[in-house]
Amino acid sequence: MQNKRGKMLLSGLFAASMLLSACSGSNSQNASGSGGTQQGGGEKVKLVVWIWEQAKAGIDLNMDRFKEAYPNIDVEFQTMKSTDLYQKYLVSSNTDDAVPDVLALESTNLSQMVQINSLLDITDRVAPYKDKIVPYKWKDATMDDKVYAMPWDSGPVVMFYRNDLFEKAGLPTDPDEVASKLKTWNDYYEAAKLVKEKTGAFMYGDSKTNSSNRVFESMMWQRGLWYFDENGKVAVDSPEVKEIADYLIKMQKEGLVYDARANTDPWGNAISQGQIATVVGGSWHDATIEKQYSPQDSGKWSVTTMPKWSADDQYGGANQGGSNLAINKNSKHPDEAWKFIEFMLGNEESQTKMMLEAGLFPSLTTVYTTSAMDKQFDYFKGQPVLKTYAKSLESTYPLAYTSDFPMANKLMTDVWAKVFLNNASSEDALKAMADELRQKTKRE
Amino acid sequence: MERTGWNRQLRYAPYLYISPYFILFGIFSLYPIIYSFYLSLTEWNGSRDKLFVGLDNYAALLRDHYFWLSLWNSVVIFLMYVPLMLFLGLIFASMLNSNWMVGKGFFRMALFVPNFVSVVAVSFVFVLLFNTQDGLINTFLMNLGWIKNPLPWLDSPWWARFSVASMVLYRWLGYNMLLLMTGLQSIPKDLYEAAYVDGATKVKSFFLITIPLVKKMLLFCTVLSTIGTFSLFTEPYILTKGGPLNSTLTPVLMLYNESFQNFNFGYASSIAVCFFILMMTVSLIQMRLFDEK
Repeated sequence: MQNKRGKMLLSGLFAASMLLSACSGSNSQNASGSGGTQQGGGEKVKLVVWIWEQAKAGIDLNMDRFKEAYPNIDVEFQTMKSTDLYQKYLVSSNTDDAVPDVLALESTNLSQMVQINSLLDITDRVAPYKDKIVPYKWKDATMDDKVYAMPWDSGPVVMFYRNDLFEKAGLPTDPDEVASKLKTWNDYYEAAKLVKEKTGAFMYGDSKTNSSNRVFESMMWQRGLWYFDENGKVAVDSPEVKEIADYLIKMQKEGLVYDARANTDPWGNAISQGQIATVVGGSWHDATIEKQYSPQDSGKWSVTTMPKWSADDQYGGANQGGSNLAINKNSKHPDEAWKFIEFMLGNEESQTKMMLEAGLFPSLTTVYTTSAMDKQFDYFKGQPVLKTYAKSLESTYPLAYTSDFPMANKLMTDVWAKVFLNNASSEDALKAMADELRQKTKRE
Repeated sequence: MERTGWNRQLRYAPYLYISPYFILFGIFSLYPIIYSFYLSLTEWNGSRDKLFVGLDNYAALLRDHYFWLSLWNSVVIFLMYVPLMLFLGLIFASMLNSNWMVGKGFFRMALFVPNFVSVVAVSFVFVLLFNTQDGLINTFLMNLGWIKNPLPWLDSPWWARFSVASMVLYRWLGYNMLLLMTGLQSIPKDLYEAAYVDGATKVKSFFLITIPLVKKMLLFCTVLSTIGTFSLFTEPYILTKGGPLNSTLTPVLMLYNESFQNFNFGYASSIAVCFFILMMTVSLIQMRLFDEK
């Protein structure tokens, strides 16, 4: 009897709270005037977007046009570091929080965020864009054939190089000639020795004990290798991966590499002092070099495709970074959120602006055929660098970062540290890492 | 009637007055602790289905060499700075507590300032100082000709631990000095006078009067430093990210990695629970060791 009454009381309370929340819902809708489906009725919807500064700079370029097109949608940006963004979102999505409506996600972490099951399924909405986007970008956004994010920019890997240092070393400086002279990583090694001998400069910068692994990962990517294979099994202890690791270890041990983690201040200082001859990295490094570390060196840098493992390899490009926009599953305004995303990422004009002015090279392939691609960049000796990026993307192996990438990346840093600090052999270090990955991720 | 009403008020009012603390404690401390314990029995990646796995997380944790390494790192870092910090703290405290010292206010402040400057800001400054390639310390030492090659302050396991320890020393020396100073002030002055009359030197009275009488305060500082060292987070996180080779990984840093990077909330909770038990045990042992009896 007691029990029953308790249950009735509970269900009564539940119904009351439902009613209350329904009331308050409609009340607030009337009060703040947010009618989700009413278009052009003069009622405004506010979208909250979580994003980091650099990406917001791209969106900002298009906000005026967006406001013109959708006067009923207000957008509030909340900027934070990308790592903070993931943590905060994890907490808020767990509490069924409707904020944010839209969030920016890096490709490196996208798959992990998709797995936690808190993004809105946008399979139908992205359908018209399926064929217009660089194919590999979809992989990390997809789980069980459902798509949870719209690809934004992609970071095709290219090789930036210093003309003055190359010239001193007796190497060509014309981008096409450089590409054919430094066709393979072996050529690159020979060039590195020349640069060191003739100029004293280092070929590239990467830390021995605190590597970001980006060069290593780019070299794996272009050969279609990864920490995991197509079946999701751990594959970092394969002989091909060891080959790449040994190559990089040789470069380090012969003193051809400046010992500092890429994209940190010591690395940037070495760049601005002309101690680093090349940067093999994502296209967004153009902005890093030009605006952040080496603004005084206009005309000294050029861009070309990066070396391959062997001259007859089918793929030569790789991907590094890139981001996406997704919608919170609990968002109250999914339709408006999609309109925002579509306007920014599905629209050639918006993407072109972000490409030309914010250094975000789009994944939307229809942009590649527009005249914007011919733009010549003064900083890079008037070179049309966007064409080089597109060329790199064309020959990029269709690979995805996959969900355990952040963990694998961190463990890989320890592999180098073991080799350089403890004199471990690359084979043992890679094997130990693979075993640890298997155990921690429960993969095979 | 009126009397009983008054009595009842007398009986319950105190509880009413102290209740806000207990209510807040319950919501913001007790509930999370219990919930964390519950989480430690599950496997959970942050999305909604939790898988009950019993004590599996604990079994895995005890077999996890990173956990033992994080404890070992904490012990090493503790030994690198705590004895030195307490010794220096006591000496500075005695100096600032003596009659002959000038500029007491200035020195007190100067030593205490590092403690309330934002730890993140301090960490970034230390990164600039300790940086192998163009850090201030290496540049300085090389210009003096004391070292030939730059020292890997943040790039080799022992130096990295040393760097973390020196940063903690810098931040907490003033705080411990302040605690010890309160201990010193409770020592009656006539003890020193009596010792002086009996012909004891300053050094002798420091070791035979000062140290024994601030023992309780030293114990308190040691317990705080132990807990502080094992739960170090910001310093190793910003200086070295726990590396190289996890040589500056602490239990709390490991907890952070497991929860917010690997999304293993169950496992991370089991670290939290073990950490709690461990810290309680260590504190109890320390108190027993320092007990007068």
